[in-house]
Amino acid sequence: MWSRRPSESFRMSTDADAQLNPEPASSAPGRRAGRTAERRIDRRSILRPGDGSMVIFDGVTKRYGEDVVGLDNISLSIDAGEFVFLVGPSGSGKSTFIRLLIKEMDASEGTVIVGGRDLGKMSRAKVPYLRRGIGCVFQDFKLLPGRTIYENVAYALEVTGDAPKSIRRKVPEILALTGLADKADRLPNELSGGEQQRVSIARAFVNHPRLLIADEPTGNLDPDTSIGIMQLLYRINRTGTTVVMATHDRDLVDKMQMRVIALEDGKLVRDERSASYATAEP
Amino acid sequence: MRLGFFFREAIRSIKANVAISVAAIVTVMIAVFILGTFIPSYLYVQSTVNQQKSRLDIQVYVADAAPQSQVAALQAQIVALQSQGLIKSFSFISKTDALNQFKARLNDPTILTLLPNNPLPASFDVKPVDPAKDGQIAIALRASHAIDTTMPGNGISYAETTTNRLLTIAQFIQYAGLVLIAILLVAAILLIGNTIRLSIFARRREVEVMRLVGATNWFIRWPFIIEGIICGVVGAVVSVVILWIAKILVVDPYVSTSTGGLTKDSASTIGFGTLAVILIIAGGAVGAVGSGFTLRRFLKV
Repeated sequence: MWSRRPSESFRMSTDADAQLNPEPASSAPGRRAGRTAERRIDRRSILRPGDGSMVIFDGVTKRYGEDVVGLDNISLSIDAGEFVFLVGPSGSGKSTFIRLLIKEMDASEGTVIVGGRDLGKMSRAKVPYLRRGIGCVFQDFKLLPGRTIYENVAYALEVTGDAPKSIRRKVPEILALTGLADKADRLPNELSGGEQQRVSIARAFVNHPRLLIADEPTGNLDPDTSIGIMQLLYRINRTGTTVVMATHDRDLVDKMQMRVIALEDGKLVRDERSASYATAEP
Repeated sequence: MRLGFFFREAIRSIKANVAISVAAIVTVMIAVFILGTFIPSYLYVQSTVNQQKSRLDIQVYVADAAPQSQVAALQAQIVALQSQGLIKSFSFISKTDALNQFKARLNDPTILTLLPNNPLPASFDVKPVDPAKDGQIAIALRASHAIDTTMPGNGISYAETTTNRLLTIAQFIQYAGLVLIAILLVAAILLIGNTIRLSIFARRREVEVMRLVGATNWFIRWPFIIEGIICGVVGAVVSVVILWIAKILVVDPYVSTSTGGLTKDSASTIGFGTLAVILIIAGGAVGAVGSGFTLRRFLKV
């Protein structure tokens, strides 16, 4: 029930909601603030989903060495604004899928297009700009232990060359949105697992990426905490950000009833809308 | 802001591995210290050698029996070589002059009265432009019939062996010094490289996050390069301070006593200010090169 009506179940001010959504509806082109916000985002990221597809895999195969197949002839498309679960047992190709999306490696065969960009033809030098348009969340959070929560989030902006003024504005904003405002000066190891994952989501989303990738974000968390993280990701999705989440968590997937892409041994075995983790038992 | 960020990250990293950074700084310090003693010493030796070279004259002995015309012909030949640029200057020393010069070197000139006549030949004292070409001058003059072939060097005496030995020593000092400095610089570069490698390892999470959020390759590299440069410059500055103290306490008092004595030392070397600037730049360069090499090998971006 919580997943269907986020505006009721999440205690969020309408003001915060407006801030979370960086792109005002295209029906209000006269709003200057909205237009500048959009320009700013476009300069930072090179993702431009032209025909409404955020991700296209066309006959993608990834081989490791001679006979280890990570992905086997996968073709699918994910629309801008979709929420997609990527499910399957360990070694089914979920991680390969994600690593191809952020061009940590290239496909052996086929075409990977993210935000209208053919990653196979993209030069190494452009990869940083691709990644500025993609937020990444991982099972192990990947927070920097020696830095406070504020510094962890600010770091993502600093290293992509954001201005100090803009950093001072954006970081408190995103910390408030993720419910971490009172934890800004704490170190990561002083926080619970769920809170640490919120920090990692805050860092991934602070630039309002068009695509958010979450690799087992609830893998280290207990079920209650997982639901909180799930709500946060869902809220982010509601702002128009495409979310691709790889997971093992059967209960979570069943509750959400979103699109499910199931992989097994590198093959696409199921791609279903409003689905559960597994097909219903016959 | 960016520069500030790079420096903050570099200093954070140095603080995080103090021991390793200190090891690199000390190595640079030693290398730069040796470079700092070598450069002035080498220039001093070089300058001394050049002065010695200019004192290496050729003696052309004239036979007593040679007729005046042959002596004149010999002199004309020397003048010709001078106009070719091989000879700087020359002077004629008559038999009497030679005897007087000899007399002046003796403690008891009265022993000369024992000689029945003046045994010393007249000679031309030839100053070559380049002592290395003494042989060439000697060959050119050898044909003259005025030369007294009973004298040392068949009548044309020049300090071939002395000249060559001086030049060999100068060259040896040059090569040995360069090899020593090369070894030390390589050691310093490797140690800085190692520091940076450990620093990359210590900061691997930062690097991972930077890659994930889309930092450009150079943005990831700069803090490491600056860390290397800081290690290099700090090492160089420390060694410049030590060199300066050594100069005040050891070199300056020695130089002032030695120049006050018999020898007049006109050989010159490098000024301390220039030396300090060269050394600090060298330290920074060693740091930059060391971290650069390591980044190429260990920081795949």
